[in-house]
Amino acid sequence: MVVIAAAGEVDLSSSPQLREAILKSVPNAGGTLAVDLSGVSYMDSSGVATLVEGLKSIGAKKAAFCLLAPSGSVLKVLQLSRLDSVFDIRDAL
Amino acid sequence: MEVLSDPKLLKSVRGVVRGFAESHALSDEKAMEVVLAVDEACTNAMRHAYGSNPGRKLWLSLRSTEDGIEIVLRDDGTPASSERVKQKEVVAPDLETLKPGGLGVQILYEVFDEVDFVPGPGSGNCITMRLRRPDGA
Repeated sequence: MVVIAAAGEVDLSSSPQLREAILKSVPNAGGTLAVDLSGVSYMDSSGVATLVEGLKSIGAKKAAFCLLAPSGSVLKVLQLSRLDSVFDIRDAL
Repeated sequence: MEVLSDPKLLKSVRGVVRGFAESHALSDEKAMEVVLAVDEACTNAMRHAYGSNPGRKLWLSLRSTEDGIEIVLRDDGTPASSERVKQKEVVAPDLETLKPGGLGVQILYEVFDEVDFVPGPGSGNCITMRLRRPDGA
């Protein structure tokens, strides 16, 4: 398992860094890649698109992808995108 | 206000919109949604109208109306196709059909009561987003 901890605000200016971190971790993730979102105070759809890309990349390797402890504002953008049911969202590992 | 199409400035734009939303007595949740939706509109213009060129200009106006608020975002970049900006039926996708892009425009429709996309006659786009106060006053 690999856990990536994201922090701060994830928008168009910062989502490329998250994308790079996730995609770099995919080959080493083993059975699960988890993205800890507890430190993320804001996310827009560019961040959500990054998570979708991670989910699809890890899914192609038949491994699991989960989101840990998203804040209310992160949950809100997932809900508005109708993607809250697509992701495995957990309070903790 | 005039803003450069630099993604690093989105945080400042969000701060201005948050202050405007809070001064209009929106609930915390609705204010958060409005901030997100305006961020999405700006992001869309930066990426698609200006092709991620950070040196172009966006014009954002925020104003009160008789029954709520109106936010207008203009750019002078490439006009969006009607297909890209139309409201689509939003359903929860499965992993097979899931695509990373195209989420921002639909968030605008989810958050605001009215969203009008008007491509410029030659170049540019104008998005008008209106939200009525819940009491309808």
